[in-house]
Amino acid sequence: MTTTPTPENVTEAVPAQRTQTASPVRQAPARRGPGAFVGHLLRQYSLVALLLASLVFYGTWSETAEVFNQAANFQNIAGSQSVLAVLTLGLLIPMISGNLDLSIGSIAGLSSIAAAGAYADAGVPLFVGVLFGILMGAVVGLVNGLVVTRFGIDSFIVTLGTASLILGGVNWYSKGNSIIQGIPQEIITFGGGLTLGIPNLVYVLAATAFAVWYLLEQTPYGRNLHAIGSNKAASRLVGIRVERDTCVAFVLSGAIAGLAGVLLLARSGAGNPQVGSAFTLTAIAAAFLGAASFKLGKLNVLGSLVAIFFLAVNITGLQFAGVANWISDVFTGLSLVLAVAFAGILSRPKKHKAAVSDGPVAPAPPPEPSRA
Amino acid sequence: MPSPATATSVLRVSNLSKAYNGILALDGVDLDVRSGEVHALLGGNGSGKSTLIKVLAGVVEAEPGAVLQLGDRTEDLGSWNSDKAYAAGLRFVHQQPAVFSDLSIAENIAFGTTFPKGRGGKIDWKALNARTAELLARFGVEASPTTPLGALRAADRTRVAIIRAVQDREDADSGVLVLDEPTAALPASEVELLLASLRRYAEAGQTILYISHRLDEVLSVADRVTVLRDGHKVATVDATGLTEGDLVELIVGRPLDRMFPEPTDAPDADVVLSARGLCGGPLTDVSFDLHRGEVLGLAGLLGSGRSELLRMLFGAYPVSAGTVTLGGREVRFATPSAAMAAGMAYVPEERQADALFQGNSVRHNLSAGDAKAYFSKLLFRHDAEKRDSADSINDFLIRVGVDTQPVETLSGGNAQKVVLARWLRRQPAVLLLDEPTQGVDIGARAEIYALVRQATRAGTSVLLVASDPEEMAHACDRVIVLRSGRIAADVRPPLEAHRLTELVNLAERAS
Repeated sequence: MTTTPTPENVTEAVPAQRTQTASPVRQAPARRGPGAFVGHLLRQYSLVALLLASLVFYGTWSETAEVFNQAANFQNIAGSQSVLAVLTLGLLIPMISGNLDLSIGSIAGLSSIAAAGAYADAGVPLFVGVLFGILMGAVVGLVNGLVVTRFGIDSFIVTLGTASLILGGVNWYSKGNSIIQGIPQEIITFGGGLTLGIPNLVYVLAATAFAVWYLLEQTPYGRNLHAIGSNKAASRLVGIRVERDTCVAFVLSGAIAGLAGVLLLARSGAGNPQVGSAFTLTAIAAAFLGAASFKLGKLNVLGSLVAIFFLAVNITGLQFAGVANWISDVFTGLSLVLAVAFAGILSRPKKHKAAVSDGPVAPAPPPEPSRA
Repeated sequence: MPSPATATSVLRVSNLSKAYNGILALDGVDLDVRSGEVHALLGGNGSGKSTLIKVLAGVVEAEPGAVLQLGDRTEDLGSWNSDKAYAAGLRFVHQQPAVFSDLSIAENIAFGTTFPKGRGGKIDWKALNARTAELLARFGVEASPTTPLGALRAADRTRVAIIRAVQDREDADSGVLVLDEPTAALPASEVELLLASLRRYAEAGQTILYISHRLDEVLSVADRVTVLRDGHKVATVDATGLTEGDLVELIVGRPLDRMFPEPTDAPDADVVLSARGLCGGPLTDVSFDLHRGEVLGLAGLLGSGRSELLRMLFGAYPVSAGTVTLGGREVRFATPSAAMAAGMAYVPEERQADALFQGNSVRHNLSAGDAKAYFSKLLFRHDAEKRDSADSINDFLIRVGVDTQPVETLSGGNAQKVVLARWLRRQPAVLLLDEPTQGVDIGARAEIYALVRQATRAGTSVLLVASDPEEMAHACDRVIVLRSGRIAADVRPPLEAHRLTELVNLAERAS
C-alpha cells in the first residue's frame, strides 16, 4: 500500500505544501477603509459617547440645567456611585472566569453591619473595623468558592443561596434595625468628605479599579481566569489550577464586596441591614453593559465604570426633570437590554460570549441603589 | 443477496457534485441502492461520505445537474430539501442519535411523529404506550414503553432511534433508512446485537444505506458496497467473497507515501519514557517503551483505551496500578501541571472542547497556561509575548491575519497548528498526540506531521494516536496495537496500512 506514485497525485515534499490553497485562511471579517474604522470606533466608544451626550443634554436642557450643572451634583453622583462601582469591579473577577456571584450585594450589607457592630459593640479602632468588614466578605467568598469548586455546584445557585442566608443572618443579628450609634466620626467624615474637590470615595474607587484592572489584564492569574472563563476543560489540560484559581476569584470578589460594604457605612453613617441585595442586580447589569464598550463583548473594568456613570447621570437628570422615581428601574433595564442587543448585533459574527455564558442572567430592573 | 427479481433500485443518485470553497468534496458521484438490500458506503476521512449523506438529507445543496431517482420519481437534487427527503421516505439515524435519556421510550418515539391526543388536547398516554409496545415488539426490543431511555443499553438506544425514524413506514418497500456509523458509539459486545437486528429489518424488506469505517461489520451485514475516495466513486461491488484486504485496497488505493515525511534515521536507543503494567479505566497491564526521537503509534479502535492511556501519562486520568518512568525516574503525575513541569505535552483529541479557548486571541491561545513566563518585575511583558507569538506563527506555518484575531476564526488545520505550537515551543521531552489531524485538510495534515518530525529531530519523543491506518503507517517509526485495553501487538517497520487495519480489526473480532 506504500508505493507506486502515479503522476497526477505525486505531491511535492512537505514544505512546498505551504503555498497550496488547500486550507484557505478565513480572515477576520475584512472590513477595512475609513468607513469601517469609524464604525469600529463608534461601536467601541458608543457608551462613552452616550455618556458625554447625556452630560451635555442635562447640562443644557432648561428643565435640568440649573441644578445639574452644579459641582455639588457631580460630587454627589460620583460619591454615591463609588460604592456600587467598587462592588461591580469585584464582581468582574468571578464573572471573567465564567462564574456569577449573586451574593456580593448581601456581602456588602453584611460587612457594613459587621463593621458597624464592631465599632458600636466592641469599640474597635477605626482600621480594625475596616479590616473586619473586608475579612467578613473574604470569608463568605471563600465559602462560596469552596462550595462551587469542591462540590461542582453552579455558582449561580451557590451564591443565590449564600445571598439569602446572609440577608437572613444580618437581619437576625441587627433585628432589622440600622446601627447608628457608635460609628466613629472619622469614617463618616471620610465617607462624605472631599479632597481637592473630589469625593474621597472616588479615590478609593480609582485605586480599586487600578488594582482589578492590573489583576485581570496584567497578571498571569488574570490571564488564567480569562482562559477558565473560555474553556474549563482546556484550561485544566494546559496546567491551570482551575479549582484553586476559581476559588480565589470568589475570595477576591467577597473581599471587594466587603470593602464596598465598609464604604457604604462610611458614606451613609449607619450600618443598614436592608441595603445590599438591591446592589447585586445593578452591578450585574453594569458589568454586562460595560461589556458593550471598549473590549467589545468582553467584560472589562473601564466599560463597567462608564456603564455605572452612564446610568447614574441619566437617572439623576431625569429625576431633576421631575420624572417619578420608577424611571430609574425602567432606564436601567432598558439600557441593559438595548446595549447588549446592539453590541451583539454590531459585533457579529463574533459571538457575544460574555453576555451568554452564564445562562439565566436576566436581571429584573433592579431597585435604585442607595443614593444617600 | 437480492435476487434479480427484487433488484429494482429505490434510490439512484447520478452525477452528484459538491464543492466547498472551490474544492470538490464530491465529483460526479453515482450511487444506486436496490430495494431490500443493505448497501454500505465506505471511504476514508474526507472521501465525501458525509457530504453525500448531507446532500441526501437535504441539509447541503448539491451543485446543479445532480439527479435523484426514487423509484419512478425523478428529482432535481439542486432544489432538494429536508422536507422533501422526509416525504420521500428517506430516514436518517446519526452516529449520536438525538435521543432524550431522561424521557421514556414512548416519549422518545413520539417525538418522531406526534403524541396521540385525547379529549381536550391532552396526551393519550394509553394509546401512546400501546403503540410503542407494538413497535418495540415488531423491532425486537425487549423493554417497556415507560422505561427511561437512559436505562437501556447502547445498542437498544440506537434501535429506539431507528424505530423513531421508521415508525410511520409500514410498507418498507419504498424509502431508505440511512445509518451513519451507528456502531461507532457502541461497546464491542453490543455491535453484533445491532448488526443482527439490521439484518432482520433488511429481510423484512427495509432498504438500508449503511455508513461505517469498520470493515468487518460491513462485510458481515452488507449486500453491496460502494467505496468513495477523494470525492470520486471508486466502485460498487458485491460484498460476497470480498475480504477486508480488498476493501482496504479500494478505500486507500492512493500513494500517500510522499505526503508524509518518512522516518529517516533509526531512533536512538535511549528509552525516554517507559510504562510497566499500567492499569486504570479500560486499560489492563499496559507496558511499552518510548525511545528518544521516536514517533510511536498507538493503534486501536475507538474505546480500546488509547485516549485514556495518553491522558494517564499526562496526569489527567487516574492510574490504578503500574509505573511510569520518565528519563530514568519513576513518576506519577496527579495533575497536568505536574506532567508539564516534567516535560510532557498533550494535544487532546477534541480540539474545540479540550484545547481551544474560543473568544480569546490566537496570541493568548498560543501562550495559554504559560502566562507566568511573561510576568517579571510586576509587569506583564506583552511585547515578549507578541514576539513569541509572531515566531510561532512563522515557525508553525499558521495562516492568520493578525494574532489578535479570535482563534475561532481559523480553519481546522490552522487551529490545530496553534495547539501544536503551544506545546512544541516548550520543547517537550514527550509529546502525546491524540488524533492530531482530525478535521484537518490533507495539506495541513502533511504540514503537521512535518512539524512533528522536526520536533523529534530536536529530541522530542512522540506517542501518536490516529484512526487512519494509512496515516499511522507513514507517520510512525513503530506502532503498538491496543486491543480492549491491552497491548496486542508491537509492529516494527516496514509498517503497512493494511497490516495495521488487519491487526486493529482482528483484535476487535477476537475479543
